[in-house]
Amino acid sequence: MPIGNAQPSVRPAPAGRTGPARGGLSTERAGNRARRSRGGARAERFAPYILVAPAVLIIVALRLYPLILGVNFSFTGDGVRNGLAVGLDNYRELFHDPLFRTALGNVGLLVLLLPVAVAIPGLLATFIYLRVPGHRFYRGVYFFPAVLSPVIVGAIFNLLLAFDGPLNAVLASVGVRPVDWLGDPDVAMFMVVGVHVWATFGMALVVFLAGFATLDAALLDAARVDGASLPQVIWHVIVPGLSRTIQFVFVTTLIGMLTSMFGLLFVMTSGGPEGSTYLPEYYIWIQQGQMNRPALASAASTILFVIMIVVGLLQIKLLKRAGRED
Amino acid sequence: MKQRALWSAVLVAGLALAGCGSATDSDSSSGGSEEKLVVWDWKSGEASAAPYIEKAKADFAKKHPNVTVEFVAQPFDQYYTLLGAAIQSGKGPDVILFNGGGQIRDRVDALAPLDEYVADDRQRLAGWDAFTKDGKIYAGPVTLQGHPIYYNKALYERAGLDPASPATTWTEFVADCAAIARAGAKCFALGNKEGVGIQFWLSALASGILTAQEYDDWIAGRRDWNSANVKRVFQLWQEAGEAGLNNDGANSTAMFNDSFALFQSSKAAHVIGLMSDVGHWKDFNEFLTPGKLGVMDTPVVTAGTTPSLPYDGGIGYGVAKWTKDPKVAADLVRSLTSTEALKAFYAEAGAIAADSTIDVSQAGPAAATIVSEIKGGKPALHVALSSKTLDLMGRLSQQLLSGSITVDEVVKQLAASDQAG
Repeated sequence: MPIGNAQPSVRPAPAGRTGPARGGLSTERAGNRARRSRGGARAERFAPYILVAPAVLIIVALRLYPLILGVNFSFTGDGVRNGLAVGLDNYRELFHDPLFRTALGNVGLLVLLLPVAVAIPGLLATFIYLRVPGHRFYRGVYFFPAVLSPVIVGAIFNLLLAFDGPLNAVLASVGVRPVDWLGDPDVAMFMVVGVHVWATFGMALVVFLAGFATLDAALLDAARVDGASLPQVIWHVIVPGLSRTIQFVFVTTLIGMLTSMFGLLFVMTSGGPEGSTYLPEYYIWIQQGQMNRPALASAASTILFVIMIVVGLLQIKLLKRAGRED
Repeated sequence: MKQRALWSAVLVAGLALAGCGSATDSDSSSGGSEEKLVVWDWKSGEASAAPYIEKAKADFAKKHPNVTVEFVAQPFDQYYTLLGAAIQSGKGPDVILFNGGGQIRDRVDALAPLDEYVADDRQRLAGWDAFTKDGKIYAGPVTLQGHPIYYNKALYERAGLDPASPATTWTEFVADCAAIARAGAKCFALGNKEGVGIQFWLSALASGILTAQEYDDWIAGRRDWNSANVKRVFQLWQEAGEAGLNNDGANSTAMFNDSFALFQSSKAAHVIGLMSDVGHWKDFNEFLTPGKLGVMDTPVVTAGTTPSLPYDGGIGYGVAKWTKDPKVAADLVRSLTSTEALKAFYAEAGAIAADSTIDVSQAGPAAATIVSEIKGGKPALHVALSSKTLDLMGRLSQQLLSGSITVDEVVKQLAASDQAG
């Protein structure tokens, strides 16, 4: 507990001051020394606060104050009730709005899909590490999509996944009925997440490759000598050896999914079909920009903020635990 | 730990109880100085709008030579988001371009009524209704926006139909669609990815479905969602989807501009398009040639109805209530809607201008048909709905096409949303 630790460090000062007075033996010299040390102690006591003040002020003025304003706005009304306190009305409305519930449900879906999003770069990095034929080529190719902007990626996949697009043409040539990839509410969200994973897994791949650099090659050799198969090597040697890297990729991938899918959603589905691909971010944008409901958007932002706090705390917990294991 | 929890609780409770301040500032202070007017729009950056802006500026300079005018072109994607932020801060442009209907009606709190300034323009310009709320005018119309049904005469010929006399009843129309299908094209080019397709459908077909009384009541705000004719609009939408009249994958086809591209490339024989800006006669003329582009009347579904062109004021300039001198700003609005300026806009940008005195005979038969129908036209039904109801209608229409909802459920939800708004 930081608060508990802080208290003893300020207590000795008053104790030192009362010490001589209690004994009744204070001479002029002793008094001078006490005064001098009293001034020095005060400067020492304030110095840390002064030194951190600029950083604290910036955070308070540019982060916390707007944040509190935003939370405050979320308790006021829109339109004719502009500026009036409405208590929890906005939150009540949000939880009655099937669209917002869909958006929260999709956050849950993202969490469920997270292992897949982590496993793909993990497996591909493993193959590169194990030097499959052409691994140098693949290393470059896998990273390539990471440099494209979401808007460009979205536009490319809009063409590929169109009803009369090339993917359906390929399927038709092998006798499969065409699928409306971005127009079927049961499929569209998976397509968007899939494209997001395709566009961003290059970064995670690089992190995995860095993790592999710290892996002890002797362990792999030992496993091979003992006759372990490839799946056994992956499961019993590589995964335990990379546990910290895997945890890190888990957390960063989740944050990436929750905060940077807007561009793809905007370009690929506009939240549709039937509202099935809404995420909280997109909902906030629609309410503030299109529906002219800034207070409702503030309430939705507050909820997204709380979700992100929970994710952030989990992240800290995971990283701390990983640090302890070390 | 306990202390921290206590503090958080106090903070949350305090905010919840107080709820002071507001998301959109109701008080306002001035933007721009007396000598300068700032105009926000999404048009003035386009090359095709340059002659229009020039003419309007010249007209305004005659009236107020010492007031400078600055046009700030914002990206349209972000326009209402940026404007929302400006309104929130109570500072911003003096003169603001708006889309008619919900976009301006939702924001009249930030605008000054213009009735006293634009009285002389009432006769010359059309489309005021879209910029009016509670009997007060908040913007001067620049263009008209509406939803004619365009058809491809070349495809009609290929299907053995007479391009000069398209179907006048829905039964005939469906029969024609069958002939067009045999000729290898779809009947409608439909893009409903954004949920906009249903809005056009509602407005374009309503005059052939709703009785005149029902139509006028709808515009006046007395909307009976349970009437058989209103349900018929959504039934037809569902039937058209099931019968394969639309292009495949309508729910994933963007209206702007994939569905228009299907029409332009003769893959579909009809499209419910626009009159101004995009997806309109000028775009279609370029691909299909003016001679092969037709505009047809709404096919009659309910016997006894009279088809009319659905149109409203498309875009128009309004005056912010925080401007220093509303009279000067209103004069700028009048310059932006002067006959000379609008003539330049029509010719260069390809819009049906709000000024009905402009001659459009050079623009081909489709534009001429549209202009001839303006007199008998009526406001479009979807423009009367709130953005929230339109958003809901878009999602429900996608569900109707995919068959995951019934028409009864759709009108029930829309009625609830319409009454709440």
